[in-house]
Amino acid sequence: MREEVTPAKRVLEPLAWLLQMISGAVLAVLITVHFYVTHMTSHEAIRYHEVIERLSSTGYKAMYVALLFFVTFHAFNGLRAIVLDTNFGARNRGAVNTITMLLFIITFIYGLYLLIII
Amino acid sequence: MSVSGWFRISGRSPFSLAFSLHRITGIILLIYLCMHLTYLTSLTDKTGQTYEKLISTTISPTFLPFDILLVLCGLYHGINGLRLIVHEFGFAYEQRRAILAMSVVIALAVWIYASYVMYKIVVGG
Amino acid sequence: MVEFRIRRFNGEETYWQSYEVPVKKGMTVLEGLLYIKENLDSTLAFRYSCRMAVCGSCAMKINGKPRLACETQIAALKSDRITIEPLDNFVVIKDLVTDFEGFFKKHEKVKPYLIRDDISYEKPVELIQTPAELKAYYDFTLCLKCGACYSVCPAASTRDILGPAAITAAYRFCMDSRDRGGDERVDIIISDDGAWRCHFAAECSEVCPKQINPAKAVQKMRVKAAIRSIKKIFRW
Repeated sequence: MREEVTPAKRVLEPLAWLLQMISGAVLAVLITVHFYVTHMTSHEAIRYHEVIERLSSTGYKAMYVALLFFVTFHAFNGLRAIVLDTNFGARNRGAVNTITMLLFIITFIYGLYLLIII
Repeated sequence: MSVSGWFRISGRSPFSLAFSLHRITGIILLIYLCMHLTYLTSLTDKTGQTYEKLISTTISPTFLPFDILLVLCGLYHGINGLRLIVHEFGFAYEQRRAILAMSVVIALAVWIYASYVMYKIVVGG
Repeated sequence: MVEFRIRRFNGEETYWQSYEVPVKKGMTVLEGLLYIKENLDSTLAFRYSCRMAVCGSCAMKINGKPRLACETQIAALKSDRITIEPLDNFVVIKDLVTDFEGFFKKHEKVKPYLIRDDISYEKPVELIQTPAELKAYYDFTLCLKCGACYSVCPAASTRDILGPAAITAAYRFCMDSRDRGGDERVDIIISDDGAWRCHFAAECSEVCPKQINPAKAVQKMRVKAAIRSIKKIFRW
């Protein structure tokens, strides 16, 4: 039986799909930059003092906030889609949506907290 | 109806294999993301000792194979993901075989290069 | 002689049974099954009808891939052993016969008919369509409802979904210039078991006996539905 969706809720699923595509494309760039800077330059790139130096620059910090946002959204929205693909997900749609999106928000906030205090 | 249905590849085309790998690498990367953020918590120790201790263990020839496999997962998921974005927005179905082949070749080529650079940095020589 | 190894089901247990079938040039798998039924084992159950790939009744898994038995030549399989199983993702009733009730209901759900508000039986009007307008949806009219696409969809293996065939039918009507029911179908497509369960494994397009590319229809239908839903928000 098809359940009724309210007009506001109706747009969340298409928006989530769209943002999954967009975040995927953005991550293709940001992850490449992140990986290049940390693993493909020198052995010193991931030493403590180098990491702290990068995190002190506004440019890098902004990049990390963007990376954090897009990667946590993409990961937990992906998890949401995978769980909704199962019978369990079909029966517990509301709970799956709420929990995965909460996990996204919590992980994003935790990452932000790390970026602020480090 | 078990999740093994997502990883059925016998009698299927390369597209099914691409899907199964995309799903597996996605799950691996999600787990890695959580591990990575936990790992980075060590940066809150302002002396830098906890963090340096961690990297001396994990950035080593012993861990290098895992790092290289992780890079393969990330590269495959990313490049295959770009292929999926093209098709899911409604483009290039007729060329889907060529695009799949190209994606796999690019992912492998970049992986080999990245692994080589990482090997030189970690093992030296 | 070729061995037909068939996965059978008698209502309680699943088991394999083999039959030796004499094969002539040009013989199809369906003819082989009919030989078995007529000469070796009349209890073997399978569906068939037209014998010429237009009805979709005889879709089954042949050597691991869903095909129409009536158009699959035994010689083309290049094997001494033909393994035949019922379609995946369907409940098996008996042997190679699966339950298609749900599959047809999903097709019905997407309103696979022209929707217009100006239909008058007293004063019928011809609905004009150009060849270009026909070309936009023609391929998707060729669907046989054989179920092959649904049987290979990984999303359908873990839960009940609308599936590629139903969404392709919805797209066929949405792209028909004579139709005015796009909005009604969008609501069905954006439901939880609709287009969002597709992750472009695209196996459906590989196995469709009519090569109508259901994967393409699902993506295009999803984009259409997404744009329509988002546009509706801005109209408030």
